[in-house]
Amino acid sequence: MSVYAVNKLCRDALRDLGFRAALKRDPASAIAPFDLTADERNALLCGDVARLFESGCHAFLLAYLPRWELFGLTIPLYSERIRKARDPRDQAD
Amino acid sequence: MAEIVAAFGVPHVPNFPAQVAREGPQSKVARLYAEVASHLDAVSADALLVFDSDHLNTFFFDNMPTFLVGVTESIEGPNDQTPMPHYRIGGHAQLAGHVRASGLARGFDLSLSQDFSVDHSIMVPLHFLTPRMQIPIVPMFINGLCPPLPGARRCYALGEMVRAAVKEWPRNLRVAVLASGSFSLEIGGPKVPHDGIAGTPDQEWTRRVQHLLARAQINDLLAEATAARMQRAGNIGGELLNWIAMLGVIGERKPRFIEGEIEHGRCYGAWRWD
Repeated sequence: MSVYAVNKLCRDALRDLGFRAALKRDPASAIAPFDLTADERNALLCGDVARLFESGCHAFLLAYLPRWELFGLTIPLYSERIRKARDPRDQAD
Repeated sequence: MAEIVAAFGVPHVPNFPAQVAREGPQSKVARLYAEVASHLDAVSADALLVFDSDHLNTFFFDNMPTFLVGVTESIEGPNDQTPMPHYRIGGHAQLAGHVRASGLARGFDLSLSQDFSVDHSIMVPLHFLTPRMQIPIVPMFINGLCPPLPGARRCYALGEMVRAAVKEWPRNLRVAVLASGSFSLEIGGPKVPHDGIAGTPDQEWTRRVQHLLARAQINDLLAEATAARMQRAGNIGGELLNWIAMLGVIGERKPRFIEGEIEHGRCYGAWRWD
């Protein structure tokens, strides 16, 4: 997974209003220029934030997506999905 | 000679400016910031050295410093669409350059930026503490949000280095220190509450940190603030490193004022010895 491209895409959604509008209008076309694997593309288009998070995408950046209901994500739906994710950094002392 | 005159720690929640504008000066957040601001006003600082963790706004994964000193005379923000006034504040570039050089001479390989804006994590505290933006700042960025993070003892040592650097500065200058951050908060990760995007998963840790700060039990804090412990407090748990670096500057002193909002994972503190 090219985690960097997903992180960058989320940040672009915050900063680039034209890109954000394109993501709302036609998400598959809007993400086409990004260097994503088929798996990442699919996870984004399905709003599978748990999978993206477990792959190493930063939660702060993924959390931008429901702010504008991108990829079908509302805040309750985002919450329901991310709460099921395994946090790779959780460990015992 | 330059001297460290006081230190402060506050959270930086992005909706604070709008919340306080709505709820007024008697709201709890407004009163806690006002208390800290009164201590800052009382010490007549000439420069404010700020330990902060950027939230992937000033820096990103294309270029991610662990420790960085901002050496510039002008800083704008917020750069992250936080609903609050836009500010421009002076940077104390000479002191910043001196701290960086001093760090390099003492084994701290500090990165440099001379052209950057800052996000809410610096501008929200300044909005409340120095609303006229009259005190030039020296921003020191610590990666507290993108693991792996630097260790607590290393951040404390960074603060000790800053203390030595300031003492060496050959001109009269009253320097205050500000730490920005909360102790427990999860944003967008698996520990968020049902139906929410942010939550406070670890009141116990917040209470413990406040307890250790109030008693100046710094060795206990350094021993307990492991990467795993901070992580359990949420994905902003590493913002505590900014407070730990601030403590490194001032040493084992008890705060003159400290108050927690434990349910929200954060504290407000002021350290003075005048």
